[in-house]
Amino acid sequence: MESKLSPLLAMVPALMVGILFCMILAFLLDIESRELLVAIWTGAWGGANEAATTLSKATPLLLTGLAVSVAYQAGLLNIGGEGQLTLGALAAATFALFAAGLPWPLLMPLTVLAGALVGALWALPAIWLRSSRGIHEVVSTLLLNYVAIYLADYLVRGPLGDGTAMARTAEIPSASVWPTWWNLGTLGVTAAPLFAVLLSCGFHLWRYQTCWGYEATACGSNPLAARSAGIPVGRWQTRNFLVSGALAGLAGALEVVAVHHRFYAAFSPGYGFDGITVAFLVNSVPGWAWLSSLLLASLRSADKWLQISLGISPNTIIVLQAVLLISVACQAGFRLSHVFGRSNLLARLYRYSNQIER
Amino acid sequence: MATLQLFTLTLGKTAPILLACMGGLLSERTGVINFALEGMMLMGAFFAVWLTFLSGSPWIGLLGGAAGGILIGLMHSLICLRFRANQIVSSIALNLLAAGVSGMLLNEVFQVYGTSPSVEKLPTLNQFGIERLPVLGDTLSVCAGELSVLVPVAIVLSLALIAFFKWSVWGLHLRACGENPLAAKAAGLSVNRIRWLAISAGGALAGIGGAYLSIGELSGFVEQMTQGRGYLAIAALILGCWRPSGILLATLFFGLSGAVSEWLAVRWTDLPYQLFLVFPYLVCLAVLLFQVGKKQPPSALGRL
Repeated sequence: MESKLSPLLAMVPALMVGILFCMILAFLLDIESRELLVAIWTGAWGGANEAATTLSKATPLLLTGLAVSVAYQAGLLNIGGEGQLTLGALAAATFALFAAGLPWPLLMPLTVLAGALVGALWALPAIWLRSSRGIHEVVSTLLLNYVAIYLADYLVRGPLGDGTAMARTAEIPSASVWPTWWNLGTLGVTAAPLFAVLLSCGFHLWRYQTCWGYEATACGSNPLAARSAGIPVGRWQTRNFLVSGALAGLAGALEVVAVHHRFYAAFSPGYGFDGITVAFLVNSVPGWAWLSSLLLASLRSADKWLQISLGISPNTIIVLQAVLLISVACQAGFRLSHVFGRSNLLARLYRYSNQIER
Repeated sequence: MATLQLFTLTLGKTAPILLACMGGLLSERTGVINFALEGMMLMGAFFAVWLTFLSGSPWIGLLGGAAGGILIGLMHSLICLRFRANQIVSSIALNLLAAGVSGMLLNEVFQVYGTSPSVEKLPTLNQFGIERLPVLGDTLSVCAGELSVLVPVAIVLSLALIAFFKWSVWGLHLRACGENPLAAKAAGLSVNRIRWLAISAGGALAGIGGAYLSIGELSGFVEQMTQGRGYLAIAALILGCWRPSGILLATLFFGLSGAVSEWLAVRWTDLPYQLFLVFPYLVCLAVLLFQVGKKQPPSALGRL
């Protein structure tokens, strides 16, 4: 029943609403709407440098988007991407600095793995609180975000910092840095975007072509039926949630090894929360997440340009993102009869039983 | 003296969380998950400053704060009740929207980034003339005179909410929608109308909570000024077992932990300051971990 192209079909109306929103905004701000859209395009893809920035921003977005969709596959919402990403990045930078003596074929993968591991560790309390205490994972991950951000802030200003007042770690050794792989503009692009896309393809195959992926999906779509079919629901949820945390940590680690080459305070500009939009824009299908992550990365790298060329606050981009997320979320139950007619409560109760349970 | 200081700080820290938590309670007892409290508070905080700036009177600003919360509440009910979106996703989107819109409007209205210009504050209890109260006046003016007038308002509102849920027919209707919407419908209630009214009323309360932050405690708007208080309010809702008397105690406890961390931060300056910033969240997680009593959410919560 579910068509292969359904994620795209979900995205198109959302994009139309987004463009409509841009037009209304342009009208309110008294600029031409074409000018606004052109400015977004120029800011994101206008030149080689802009394209390189957009591509490198798409990498963490794709990974955090994958993190959200893997958790959502098992019926969980991982809002803690922000904290997992921050700590994953810090762990990767710290590992690379402390294990600088290792030869590069060991150091490079281990650095990234260290980030993923710490990301998964930071997701562990949330899933444990859910399975043993029944506390909704959204609440605990949100609280853990604050803990992670302040913890990283303390560590990078204190014991792990480079001793300057800049609140950052020292630069990681060049053996652990991912080299520029494609000379695009002055910045260049590393293999990280390709790696992320391959990972998302892997998750897509796992989800739709393997038995295990099917079992995990069943836990999300109907936990009761899955349990009575003998699928260990709790175990799958735990696994998927840990993998989700690991993906968010990986996003942070890749940011360190491919882009910034060090960790600094206030590391993530909200990539963790953007992951939610990335995942839901394409119906949380991993194979299409690259598209939505490119879209969000374009918006993100356009915000500075909007400020320079049109004098619009960069917050506009956040509003646009929220509008996209709302419009894609609304489609779940969008029927014209619902808007204009009365519908039956009984039918609703059964039709929307996939709403998240507590 | 130290105890007194701590008491005052606690009340000041409790009020915004309590107001937001009551908003969440109204919404969740009708069966609609509301994680958008953070956004409601932020919108309320901004609108309060904006309207105070426009009108010059913080009382009109307070109304504006309520209106900001109601705005987000109406959007939440439109998205969840009309379009049947996932309620958690809708809340997250609305939090994002509130953060973006408040920052954008801050730039458009005041032509600044980050912090708004300073506006007039709501009066404190001393300015309001609390020492004129017959019996307790003098004591109160010494103990709590520096607090904003919204603090007693919040506590009175919360007592009123206890009475509302316990004794009024409307409270019963509201609970019925959350426990068994089908039965409520069969009894002739309009479930959707009750839900959107409750969400909007909750939005107004959370918006006032935000206004407390911007024109009660400070005298201006700072981007992201709610700092996760909306999420603490949701945790308080769980800790208080979705009961109006429970949430009063839970928010008082969170207020105490916030006050203790602020109080200690001044004294133990050799400890890292991040520890004091993170203390309320750690306490919140720990309390959720060791919670006693049954956590029974309204049975139709999250289902439409």
